[in-house]
Amino acid sequence: MKSAINCIEWLVEQMGGLARLIVLALVLLVATDVILRYLFSIGPVALQELEWHLISPIALIGLSYTMKHRADVRVDFLYERFNWRLRAFIDLIAALLTLSVAVVITYLSIAYVQQSYMLNEGSPDPGGLPMRYLLKAFIPLGFGLLALQGLAETIRSLLVLCGKLPPESPAVVEEAA
Amino acid sequence: MSGNEWLIISMIGGFLGLMMIGIPVAIALAVSGFVAGYIGFGPMLFNLMPARLFGVVTNYTLMAVPLFVFMGVMLEKSKVAENMLETIGKAMGGVSGGMGLAIILVGVLMGASTGIVGATVVTVGLLTLPSLLRRGYAPSIACGTICASGTLGQIIPPSLVLILLSDIVGESVGTLFAAAFIPGLVLAVIYVVYLLILGKLKPEWMPAIPAEERAQTSGRQLARDLLKDVLPPLLLVVAVLGSIVGGIAAPTEAASMGALGALFIALAFRRLNWKLVQESLHGTLTISAMVFFILLCAQPFSLSFRGLGGDQMVHHLFDMLPGGEMGALLFLMALLFVLGFFLEWIEISYIALPMFLPVFINYGTDMVWLSILVAMNLQMSFLTPPFGWALFFLKGVAPPGVSTRDIYVGAVPFVLLQFLAVVVLFQFPSLVTWLPEVIGW
Amino acid sequence: ADKESFNFKMTNAYPPGAPFYVQGPGSPMDFCDKVKAMSGGRVNIQHFAAGELIPAMEGFNAVAAGTVEMNAANAYFWAGKIPAAQYFTTVPFGMSTQGMNAWLYHGGGLELWHEIYADYGLIAFPMGNTGVQMTGWFRNPLESVDDLKGLKMRIPGLAGKVYKELGVNPVLLPGGEIFPALERGVIDAAEFVGPFQDRRLGLHKAAKYYYTTGWGEPTNVTELLINKKVWDGLPKDLQLIIMTAAQACVTESFVWCEAVNADAMTDLVENEGVIAQSLPDSIVKRLKEVTADTLETMAAADPTTAKVHKSFMDFRKKHDSWAALSEKPFLNLL
Ligand code: NA
Ligand code: NA
Repeated sequence: MKSAINCIEWLVEQMGGLARLIVLALVLLVATDVILRYLFSIGPVALQELEWHLISPIALIGLSYTMKHRADVRVDFLYERFNWRLRAFIDLIAALLTLSVAVVITYLSIAYVQQSYMLNEGSPDPGGLPMRYLLKAFIPLGFGLLALQGLAETIRSLLVLCGKLPPESPAVVEEAA
Repeated sequence: MSGNEWLIISMIGGFLGLMMIGIPVAIALAVSGFVAGYIGFGPMLFNLMPARLFGVVTNYTLMAVPLFVFMGVMLEKSKVAENMLETIGKAMGGVSGGMGLAIILVGVLMGASTGIVGATVVTVGLLTLPSLLRRGYAPSIACGTICASGTLGQIIPPSLVLILLSDIVGESVGTLFAAAFIPGLVLAVIYVVYLLILGKLKPEWMPAIPAEERAQTSGRQLARDLLKDVLPPLLLVVAVLGSIVGGIAAPTEAASMGALGALFIALAFRRLNWKLVQESLHGTLTISAMVFFILLCAQPFSLSFRGLGGDQMVHHLFDMLPGGEMGALLFLMALLFVLGFFLEWIEISYIALPMFLPVFINYGTDMVWLSILVAMNLQMSFLTPPFGWALFFLKGVAPPGVSTRDIYVGAVPFVLLQFLAVVVLFQFPSLVTWLPEVIGW
Repeated sequence: ADKESFNFKMTNAYPPGAPFYVQGPGSPMDFCDKVKAMSGGRVNIQHFAAGELIPAMEGFNAVAAGTVEMNAANAYFWAGKIPAAQYFTTVPFGMSTQGMNAWLYHGGGLELWHEIYADYGLIAFPMGNTGVQMTGWFRNPLESVDDLKGLKMRIPGLAGKVYKELGVNPVLLPGGEIFPALERGVIDAAEFVGPFQDRRLGLHKAAKYYYTTGWGEPTNVTELLINKKVWDGLPKDLQLIIMTAAQACVTESFVWCEAVNADAMTDLVENEGVIAQSLPDSIVKRLKEVTADTLETMAAADPTTAKVHKSFMDFRKKHDSWAALSEKPFLNLL
C-alpha cells in the first residue's frame, strides 16, 4: 500500500519537475518576446501564441503537484480544533471527493480532446501553432494526475485511520512556498 | 420557490458546509456544483465543462499569475523582500504600523502593474507576511492589510474588471482607467489613515522596530541600507510599470519584466544559484496552480448556477426593484455584494449588469461613475468573509501559523473602509468623472 | 395540426453588450427575438454571449458535438480547422458586401458552405454584415512601403500574414489590451472594426491617423451556425422562418452599420481631430500583389480551399466587370 503511494507520488513529482521547467520557459519566453519586439521589431506569431499555450501545463499539471505539497487552500478554523481521528476522517472525505471530481472531469474531457483531434484543430491565425488537441490534452492529463494523487491521499488517510501511519500534525505540513 | 431555486440554495449551502469542515476550497466548489447540476439538470449540462476549463487555462491575461508569482517568490527566497521591509521599518522610526504602510505602497505599485487579483494578493502576501509576523504584528492586522492592498489592483488601472466592464457598459477602456485612478488612490489613502490611527491606539498590534535596535543603525548606515535594500525592489516595480508607461510592454506582458528583473536582482546580490532557481520554480508552480485550482473548480459551480436558472432567480429579484435612480443603485450595490459571496466576479458582471443597464440608461445615470461603483463593489466582495477570493489566495501562501480565522477577522475592518469609500464616491461623483474629462480620455 | 415547439441555446463568440455582434438591430439577440415572434413562440432560442456558457472560440466544437444547437461568430474563426472557412467571412481585396451577398446567395457560395460544413454535421447561414471595415489606426502617417518596415501592428488573421511580407510585425493582443498598448506605443498601429466600434474602444485617443479602406476586410459576414441534425429535425416552415430571419438580419445589421458609422466618422473627424485618409497607392499595390500570392499558396495547399477559391474568384471576375460599369462610376460621382 505504501509503495503504491510512493509510486504515484514519484510520478506526480516527475511531472511537476517538467511543469517547473515550463514556468522558467514562460518567464524567459515572454521577456524575450517583449525585448525582441522592442529592440528589433521582430516577433513570430508562433512564439507569441506559445506564450499563452504554456499556461495550460503549469495550471493543469500543477494541480496534483499542489495537492501533493499540501499547498491547496483549506478553511481551517474548525479543522484545527478537531482531534487527529476526525482530521484523518475529513482528509479521507477530501481525498475521495478529489478523486471523484478528477475522474468525472477526466472522463468528460476525453471526448472533448478526441473531437479536437478529429477536426485536426490548429490555430486560426496563419503562422500560428498547429495541433491544438495537444494543448487540450493537458485537461485530461492534469485531472488524471489529480485523480491519482487523490487515490494516494485516500490510501494514506485510510492507513492513518487504521493506525498504520502516524497522523500528520498541521504544524509539520510543508509550507506552500 | 421552485425546485431548482431550492437546489441553488442547497448548492451554496453545500459549498459553505464542505468548506467549513476543512475540505479544500476548490474541491468543495466543484463537488457542490457537480451534485446540484446533475440532480437538477442531468449530465448534458456538463458537456460544456471542458470548453470552460480550456477557457480558463488559455486566458491570456491569467499569464500574469505565474509571472508575478515568480517575481514574488524570487524576491522572497533571495531575502531581498525581507531586507527591504526591515529597512523601511527602521526608516519609519517610532511610527507604529510603519511596515504596514509600506505594504499599502507595495499594493498600490503592484496594482498599477497588473489587474489580476490572484497575482497581487499572492505576491504581496509572499513578500511581506513572514516579515510582519516576525516583527510581532498581530496576524489578523497583517493579513487584513495584505488582502486589502492586494485587491487595490482591481481598481487601480490596468484592471481586468474595468476592461470587462468597458465592454458591457460601452465606455472606452481608457475612460474607465482614467476614472478609476483617483478612487483607487482615495482608497489607498483611507487605508493609510486607518493604519496610522490604529497604530496610535493599539501600538502593540503593529509594533515599530524597537528603539534599541534602531539605535544600532546609524543615520548614515540607514541611508546606505535604504539605497541597497529598498531601491532595487522598488526599481523592479518601476520596471514593470515603466515598461507599460514607456511603451515597451502591454499590461500582461509587463509582468515578465518583473520576473526577469527579479532574476537580475538576485544575481546582483550574488544570491542567484541553481538551488534558488529550483526553489523559486517550485514555489511559483504550487502557488500558481493553487490559484488555477480554485478558478478551474469554480467552473462546475458557475455552470450549475446558470443551468439551474440562477440568472432567472436574480431576474426575479429584479422585480422587487424599488423606484427611483437612487433606489435602483442601492439595490444593485446590495445585489452585487451578495452575489459576490459565492460567484466569481466575471459571472456576476455577466448575470447582473446586462439586466440592470437598461434601467440606468433610462435614468440617464453616468455610466462611467456607475462602472467605478460596480468595480469598487466587486472588489469589496473579494475581501468579504467567508467566500472572498482574496482571502483564499492569501491562505494559500500564508505560513502554517496563520489560520483562516486570522484572515477573516483581519479583512472585516477593510471591508468597512471600502464601504466608506463607496459612500464617498456616491457623494462625490466628480472624484470619478474629473480626471477623464481633464485628460480627454 | 399539432405544432411541436423547440428550445435551443445559441452561444456567441463576442462578449456581452457588444453592439452589432451581440445586441442591437440585426444582431444575434435580435435574430432570436425575430424567430420567436415569427414562429409564434414555437422556436425559443436562448442567447449566451461569450464566456456566459463557453469561451469565445469554442462555439464550433460545441455545436458540432450537439452541446448547444446554434452559435453566432465569423466563419474565419474556424480557419484552424477548415482553412476554406476564411472565404465565407471575407477575403482581402475580395468583394464588397454587395458582391459577397451576390456570390453567397446566387453565385454558389452558400451551397459550397453547406457542402463543406456537412462533413462536420453542421449547416451555416449569413446572419449579419458590418459592411466594409477600416485599414486601422496608426500613430504616424504612412507615405511609402518603407514606412511599414518594422511597424508593430495589432492585426490578426490573413491580413496579418500579408502585412508581415511587407515587413510589418504582427502583434497578437486581446481586445482589451489594444487601447493601453496603442496609447503607450507598445504597438504603432491597430486594426479593429469600423468607426462606430473603434470609437467605442477609444482608439482615436491613442492614435490620430485613421486609414481607410478595409482592404483586409472589405466585407464581414456574421455566421449563424446550426447543428445539422437539429436543422434536419425542424419542420419546413420553421426552417424557412430561421432562414428568412437570418437574411433580414443581414440587411438590417448592414444598414445599421452604414448609419452609425457615418455618424461616428463625422464625429471622429470633426470633434476628435482624427485624420481619416486612404492608403497611399504604392502601399495598396504591394499589398494587393502579396495578397494574391498568399491566397494562391493557401489554395494550393488544400483541395477544398482550392475549390472555394476558384468559385469565389470566378464570381469576382464577373462581378468586378459589372461593378466597374455600375457602382464604381457612381461612387466616382460623389
Ligand atoms: Na491594476
Ligand atoms: Na476587423
